[in-house]
Amino acid sequence: MGTLDIGGSQLDATWFLLLSAVLFSLGAAGVLVRRNPLVILISIELMLNAGNLALVTFSRQLQNIEGQLFALMSMTVAAAEAVVGLAILVDIFRVRDAEDVDDLSQLKG
Amino acid sequence: MSNQALALLILLFPAAGALILAGRGWRAPRFVTVIVGPGVVWLSFLATATLFLNKASGDFTYWTWIKSGAFDVPFGLLVDHLSIFMCFVITGVGGLIVTYSVGYMEHEDGPSYARFFTYMDIFVFSMLLLVLADNFVFLIVGWAMVGLSSYLLIGFWYQRRSAVVAARKAFVMNVIGDVGMILGTFVLFASYHAVTFATVFRLGCPSPQLLVGCRTPGDSGPLELAALLLLVGAVAKSAQLPLHTWLPDAMEGPTPVSALIHAATMVTAGVYLVGRMHPIYDVAVYAHGAVAIIGAVTALFAATIAIVQVDIKRVLAYSTMSQIGYMFLAVGIGAYSAGFFHLLSHAFFKALLFMAAGNVIHAMHDEQDMRKYGGLWTDMRLTSITFLVGSLSLVGVVPFVGFFSKEQILGLAFSKPGDSTVLVLWLIGFATALITGFYTGRMWWLSFWGKPSPDRPVEHPHAPPLVMMVPVTILAVLATVGGLAMTPTSSFLESAVGRIPWEEMTVAVVVGVVTMLAAAALFAGAMRMRPWTAFVPWAQRLLEHKYYFDEIYDAVFVRPLDWVAGFAFRDVERPVIDAAVVDTGRLTRWTSVEASRNLQTGYFRNYALVFVVGVVAIGGGLVIMRALS
Repeated sequence: MGTLDIGGSQLDATWFLLLSAVLFSLGAAGVLVRRNPLVILISIELMLNAGNLALVTFSRQLQNIEGQLFALMSMTVAAAEAVVGLAILVDIFRVRDAEDVDDLSQLKG
Repeated sequence: MSNQALALLILLFPAAGALILAGRGWRAPRFVTVIVGPGVVWLSFLATATLFLNKASGDFTYWTWIKSGAFDVPFGLLVDHLSIFMCFVITGVGGLIVTYSVGYMEHEDGPSYARFFTYMDIFVFSMLLLVLADNFVFLIVGWAMVGLSSYLLIGFWYQRRSAVVAARKAFVMNVIGDVGMILGTFVLFASYHAVTFATVFRLGCPSPQLLVGCRTPGDSGPLELAALLLLVGAVAKSAQLPLHTWLPDAMEGPTPVSALIHAATMVTAGVYLVGRMHPIYDVAVYAHGAVAIIGAVTALFAATIAIVQVDIKRVLAYSTMSQIGYMFLAVGIGAYSAGFFHLLSHAFFKALLFMAAGNVIHAMHDEQDMRKYGGLWTDMRLTSITFLVGSLSLVGVVPFVGFFSKEQILGLAFSKPGDSTVLVLWLIGFATALITGFYTGRMWWLSFWGKPSPDRPVEHPHAPPLVMMVPVTILAVLATVGGLAMTPTSSFLESAVGRIPWEEMTVAVVVGVVTMLAAAALFAGAMRMRPWTAFVPWAQRLLEHKYYFDEIYDAVFVRPLDWVAGFAFRDVERPVIDAAVVDTGRLTRWTSVEASRNLQTGYFRNYALVFVVGVVAIGGGLVIMRALS
């Protein structure tokens, strides 16, 4: 593993990837255990940004700009996804008072 | 207007009429049906007449219908003297009969009334398609469609079980014929890779002079087979032995249907077929001989049955079989124009007989048993006279049209040189002519003369309405003076079907006159109504059971098939096929409902957990595999 030059000091890339993994796991755990739909959306954003961090890290490490470009694209998609998700939530809140995603289980078999 | 467009118009008028009546007819007021139903047939008649006056002929191709390799079916109509002649018979006699139905069907309610004329127009369209086709595919389409419209019209009164059964019987018999036609076409296509008449005839019969040439039975194996298979179609459609049993039952349909389909046009399609295929039959001598033999035997066979029938329409049905037998005899010995002239005269007088009988049945409140009529002469004078004209024409008395045509057939059979088999056939035809005189006389005498039967359903029958009487009268006039058309008709047809090389017509005329005089004498003799069959009870029984054909077919085909079907239903369908289907469904329901419903909880976190666990498992698996390798 190479080292990265961050503001003059040298840091091993492993730390960044480790941070990314921790953030991703936190996000995933949030999605799984939290019940408030808004918090679930935020957790999803966290997972996406963990992925972005990993992309940028590898980009710097491999001196390949495509990874950073892809991170930008991923942010755009995340914004769009947030819009759709929030719109769905607003619509759900209009017709019913659902504070818990477990209340939204009408489609069970 | 070009001839090409006119030929197409002949077909389009009845098709348009059928579509209009089928779509809106039952909602429109009744006069629309009255105008459209017969009107389109008369328009076709006008188009045919224009074509005739234009002296049109040709093989018109409009567009390519199907093209796949060598299989090339053009959308083409063949206009020659034969098809124009047939179109005249169909639209002319057909127009009169459809007009007549306006009165005959008056008691039907609105929707049924429109339905009747829809079917009639469909029939006229299909029959015109049949005779105008210039290739085998169109011929088969028309052939099957006349069978369909016959089925629909026999079963027109579908509330009556007997009508439905008769319609089914006619359809099944006709489908046997259709299969023969299709197989015959396959054989011809396999041999010559063509479906148009012109190409097949050119390749099958090397002589360009199709009229009298190709009489040598050379290398004609496929042609012989094809001709026999086509003959199966002709026999089924024309109710000849042994596929004849449907025609008497077909009398369950309304009387105008019997007049149009089961006397004047559809049942003569077999004669048309043999005439149209004459280049093939001229080469295929064995099949050609079979045509003549089948015709002669059927003529005699049907005439004997007609002696004992008591239902007036059944007598006419057997007489139709018998007369078509004459036509088969004629085309079978190569006397094509005589056969077609008899087709024309038969269309005149048999349609006349059926329609006059329809007048009687209409007045008698649907009673068809002749023994319950009697003495109608006083009440229905005009109908009696027209029926007499038809009867005399059927018997072949001078100067009615039947005399000329029948005399021509018998005379030509008698004078055919150097063929003793034909002489036997002539003898059969001669005997048939005598029997014809007998049963016709019996029919007329029983219905119209004598005292009214005590069982007569109506004391004072009403005269038929004008719309029924006028077509009957027109046909009566045609049946009287139609003989004058003999020479022009024959010479008109000869260019299409060829002329026969032998012509000792002096013998023919003498023989014919003697035949017909003898028949007329019997006709008069029959008026005394001696119940000769009472002296030979076994013959009476044999004839009343129509030589047990229905019973034999019942035992040989219907019952075994019934048994097989019943066995398959009880012991195969229910326990094997039904069980397999039902149990498969049950299994699917169990797996989908019982087994998998618990997986679908509806909780978002459950799905997400499965997803995460799956990703971790796959990712971890990949890492481990990497580490191990």
